[in-house]
Amino acid sequence: MAPLVIEGLSKRFGPIRALDGVSFSVEAGEVFGYLGPNGAGKTTTLRIVLGLIHAGAGSVRVFGQDPKEVRSRLDVGYLPGEVRLYGDMSGEAILDYFAGFRPGKPPRLRATLVEALGLVPSDLGRPVKFLSHGTRQKIGLVAAMQHDSALLLLDEPTTGLDPLVQSAFRALIRGFASRGRAVLLSSHVLSEVESVCARVAILRQGRIVTVDTIEDLRARTLRRLEVRFKGAAPAGLDSVPGIARADIQGSTARLWVRGDVNPVLRRLAQADVERFVFPEAELEDIFLAFYAKGAA
Amino acid sequence: MKNLWKRLLGRRWTFLAVSTAVFAGFEFLICAVVAGIDLPALFAEVSKNFPPAMKGLIEQYIGGFGSADLLAFAWNHPVVLAAGGAVAIVLASHAVAGEIEEGTLELVLGQPVSRGRYFAAHAAFAAATLAVMSLAGVGAMILGQRVYHLRAVGAASIVLMAASFFLLQLTWFAVTLFLSAFGRTAGRVSFAGFLLALLSYLAHTVGQLWPRAAFLVRYSVNGYHDPRSIAKSGGIPAGSLVLFFLLIAVFLGLALWKFERRDIP
Repeated sequence: MAPLVIEGLSKRFGPIRALDGVSFSVEAGEVFGYLGPNGAGKTTTLRIVLGLIHAGAGSVRVFGQDPKEVRSRLDVGYLPGEVRLYGDMSGEAILDYFAGFRPGKPPRLRATLVEALGLVPSDLGRPVKFLSHGTRQKIGLVAAMQHDSALLLLDEPTTGLDPLVQSAFRALIRGFASRGRAVLLSSHVLSEVESVCARVAILRQGRIVTVDTIEDLRARTLRRLEVRFKGAAPAGLDSVPGIARADIQGSTARLWVRGDVNPVLRRLAQADVERFVFPEAELEDIFLAFYAKGAA
Repeated sequence: MKNLWKRLLGRRWTFLAVSTAVFAGFEFLICAVVAGIDLPALFAEVSKNFPPAMKGLIEQYIGGFGSADLLAFAWNHPVVLAAGGAVAIVLASHAVAGEIEEGTLELVLGQPVSRGRYFAAHAAFAAATLAVMSLAGVGAMILGQRVYHLRAVGAASIVLMAASFFLLQLTWFAVTLFLSAFGRTAGRVSFAGFLLALLSYLAHTVGQLWPRAAFLVRYSVNGYHDPRSIAKSGGIPAGSLVLFFLLIAVFLGLALWKFERRDIP
């Protein structure tokens, strides 16, 4: 049984359709990316999974339980998109406070997380209101992950973290997955999802555009290829199979390729190429491709 | 539950301690005033130029100038009503609306804690706090009578007056919690709670002072908290008990009903 199964989930806030028929599941040992721009419905989905918001239609099962049941949250760690902590409490007191809701499950990962995220004793000893946004985010992360929960729900987890800490965070997430934990990582920072997730769902205006592996998404997306020839660009490039679009200016050609790249490479091999740039497809490209398609 | 209580106590202890100290201090001080000053003579001197109607109104409002009347009035004085009301209204407004405003409720209810348990923890904490406050008033008045050699009101009557005071404040807690279950900002909810408490107090006062407005007393919650009659009869009227318990049960029930159903935040 998958730790999290969502089927046909819909939610309206008055006239606004926040979610419309969202379906996906997160398996044990998987880091699942949940992508979409602000307002797409990512946070609403997570809040429904936690029972904070009531679903309009569809079903959500967390370890087979309805989110209304407290038992569904016994083994779930949660980081909200906007971490707001009690300003008068110290970091240590906040971690103890949240650990206190799970008396049977000690926060065994706390020390590891504190060290990995670079929290120092003085950070944890001061009232939270005096801490920087990044440090509060780290405390929120430790609070969410300290119990080594079987399901982690992380909403924009790297907001405010510096690149080194982001890297440490990614390593921690991979560690969770390797121990068989399920992670739902909601983000609009696409590179973050790309580096840790095996599968992603792309959400647009409350609807899932696609659920796929990163590899398959890359295969389906348009990739940009830039070629500079020693002489003029050869004619007929735009008719080569796989080239969706070709912009040719003098000796330089910008080509957008979809799917198998071999026909394009064979055609280019017949020409005298001076410079050839074919970067790895970024998730941004995939994302924009889906959005452009949707907008069209 | 224990975790939530610990947090509430850690956060509010200064406010609760100060409110309780003001309340208990006032109850003690009133004993000193009653023992040390000949209030009937003082009032007669001060009011000798007042129109007779005004003298009558003041006497009616305070309920007489006997020691027992004055000590009973100490449980209905604006200072003690304000101290108790502040505790009840602040705790209720922050229980839901305040936590939503601060953005912390989402994180707390994301833990394995049910809304019912969260709600019960806040209600029980407020009840315990108001009970401690009322008992502090009882202790202060008993101590004050001993220190100043007064034997105006017996301990049993003081306990009953405190119980009535406790029920009145718990009613304001329940009413404000009901508003809090709908609200998003503690300030607005507190304001609404204070406004209702103030209107009730004014309706009661005006109803007492002006015979043509006497009907208002019936519609004021404060009208059912009558320490003077408790001091005289030695019991809380059954009608008052029924009304307080009914209001507390109805408003707590409605507040929980709304809280269970609303989307957070």
